[in-house]
Amino acid sequence: MQLRIRRGRAAAVAVVAGLALGLIPTAGATSYIYWWQRNMTPNGVGYDRVTAHNHSYNELYFGPNAGWSSEVWEVTPAGYRHFDKWCTGNCFNAHPRYYLTYSYCSNRDGSTHFVYDCLDQW
Amino acid sequence: MKRQRIQFAAALLLAAATAGLLSQLVLGGNDKVKIGNGSVSALARAAAATDALPESVLTYPFAARNFASKRGEGSRLLHLEGTLRLYAVPGKEGMLCLIEVDDAAATSGGACADRHILLTGSIFMADRQEDGSRLVVGLVGDGHTYAEAEGRRVPVESNAFVLRGVAGSSVSVGSPTAAQTIDLGG
Repeated sequence: MQLRIRRGRAAAVAVVAGLALGLIPTAGATSYIYWWQRNMTPNGVGYDRVTAHNHSYNELYFGPNAGWSSEVWEVTPAGYRHFDKWCTGNCFNAHPRYYLTYSYCSNRDGSTHFVYDCLDQW
Repeated sequence: MKRQRIQFAAALLLAAATAGLLSQLVLGGNDKVKIGNGSVSALARAAAATDALPESVLTYPFAARNFASKRGEGSRLLHLEGTLRLYAVPGKEGMLCLIEVDDAAATSGGACADRHILLTGSIFMADRQEDGSRLVVGLVGDGHTYAEAEGRRVPVESNAFVLRGVAGSSVSVGSPTAAQTIDLGG
């Protein structure tokens, strides 16, 4: 009887641990897609400024075969710009969580391009 | 008489279309200077343990979306300068990726683009520094020998270059016989 109870407890612990590992994002990172499957005009800007976060990652993804200029950057609520990176094509910038910021991405080509998404993490 | 006019108009149209096609295909139709054939010989050299990408880079969404394989197989360390490392990584569907990792700053970044870009320029990243200047790192195809900004020229080694303290909005890359201008934007 006791053995059966122990097994039951062990199974319950395993289920809880499995759920915790599966549901909690890796290393506590939260990801948010702030631009999603739309055409972006030249110098058009996508942004996540609902809530400022201590960001660690910002990415623009045109899709495969990208070859256009892009930019990702972050701005504090006070207006200071940080982690500003210009790229050829798909672009990411990963960095320590130094500043409380909003995230931005932009198509810096002279033509309108489809952007699959821009994504930030904190 | 009417038939002759129609024939003449048709001949004119045909001549115009032929001239247009020739100007695009034979004469270029594109004023961009081309260097090399887009190949990157650094990717073909024998692999070493130092060529493997850091695990942190492989965990980012960028890796799964852009690299030809999940583990970034085929990557090559192109450049090592202090704590800054540059890697080339084969990308999906004809793309090629440039990855930069700075251990001291605990930062990393990447750019992936169609490898045809290498014919007319570079797959680059330009990072704005605290002093307002930019750190420009680039991946170029075989045949490129230098990169230059504001009169400062650095050699291309293993298909890569690093230009620090760039104040302007463009850099140039080139070979002994040709030069290309890269607009950094901003």
